[in-house]
Amino acid sequence: MSNFDHLKAILDSTLNLGGRGLAFTRETPLLGDLPELDSMAVVMVLTGIEERFGIVIEDDEVSAETFETVGSLTDFIDAKLRDA
Amino acid sequence: MLEAGYLEGEQGPLFHLLHPPRERSARGAILYAHPFAEELNKSRRMVALQARRFAELGYAVLVPDQFGCGDSAGDFGDARWELWLADLSRQAAWLQERYQARVTLWGLRTGCLLLSELSRRQTLDIERMLWWQPVIDGEQYLVQFLRLRMAATMMGGNKETTRELRERLAGGEALEVAGYLLHPRMAAALAGARLAPPAHTGAAVHWLEVSADANPDISPAARRLIESWAAEGRIVEARAVSGEPFWGTQEISEIAELIERSASVVGVGSP
Repeated sequence: MSNFDHLKAILDSTLNLGGRGLAFTRETPLLGDLPELDSMAVVMVLTGIEERFGIVIEDDEVSAETFETVGSLTDFIDAKLRDA
Repeated sequence: MLEAGYLEGEQGPLFHLLHPPRERSARGAILYAHPFAEELNKSRRMVALQARRFAELGYAVLVPDQFGCGDSAGDFGDARWELWLADLSRQAAWLQERYQARVTLWGLRTGCLLLSELSRRQTLDIERMLWWQPVIDGEQYLVQFLRLRMAATMMGGNKETTRELRERLAGGEALEVAGYLLHPRMAAALAGARLAPPAHTGAAVHWLEVSADANPDISPAARRLIESWAAEGRIVEARAVSGEPFWGTQEISEIAELIERSASVVGVGSP
């Protein structure tokens, strides 16, 4: 599975999307567009990414732009794994 | 019949549900310690299902809301870690007195941290510990909790980092996090809490985790801690079951396997 696929699985499971999340594309908007994505869900997605990829995310690394689309969040994970 | 009522706490009446044993004499008593803030509400359904199952097996199960939580007296911002410990101690003594039975301490998340501390301080006749997804490190948990405010402020376009928030707490400021007022002393006590096995080696420790994987395994952090305890001769029974993290998910979810696994811990079938 690619990082993109892993991320879709995390989004689908933590936001209880019932499979809808697996059909997301890179262009699918997240923050501000997906009602399920409240602050608690953002924290759960961050924790889910940390656990799945074995990385630690610092607060100053993430911003609202990171959560703009599925693609922007995938790019963030790709960059974190490159630096790890 | 399920009983609901209030028990006198250190600083006010505390609401509880009591699931009486199916038979007249209890085969044991179980005290439940709930998790922190919103996790308490999210987990109510699973806890109620489990408590009912334990009662069917002949246990008396006490499920209290601690000070400042649920239907109990006080506001969350006035709750203190020490106060919760003192009230849990009272509740354990009350259960022991009423049912003349040894007590199983059952906790979820930070509830396990409280029970771990309680068992090392008090001379309770503990039969066993049952930990659900225990928080190992209170400081790590505090940072995760503060992230809720970080995320909310990030979405509002004026992000506050957890480091800044911890500095404000250290300076004596109470902070509202996801609708809960966090007192600096509560934050400090939580940050200092670490999971430890009970002081009395006679009490078995059962550790159950929930994993999203189809082939569930306990987390690497839990495994490391359990191995270090084993090196000191403290054996912990640890298992993972598949399911959603019901204490945090948006939808209320149930994990039948966790309930049955927990039932077998306290002894399905034996007299």
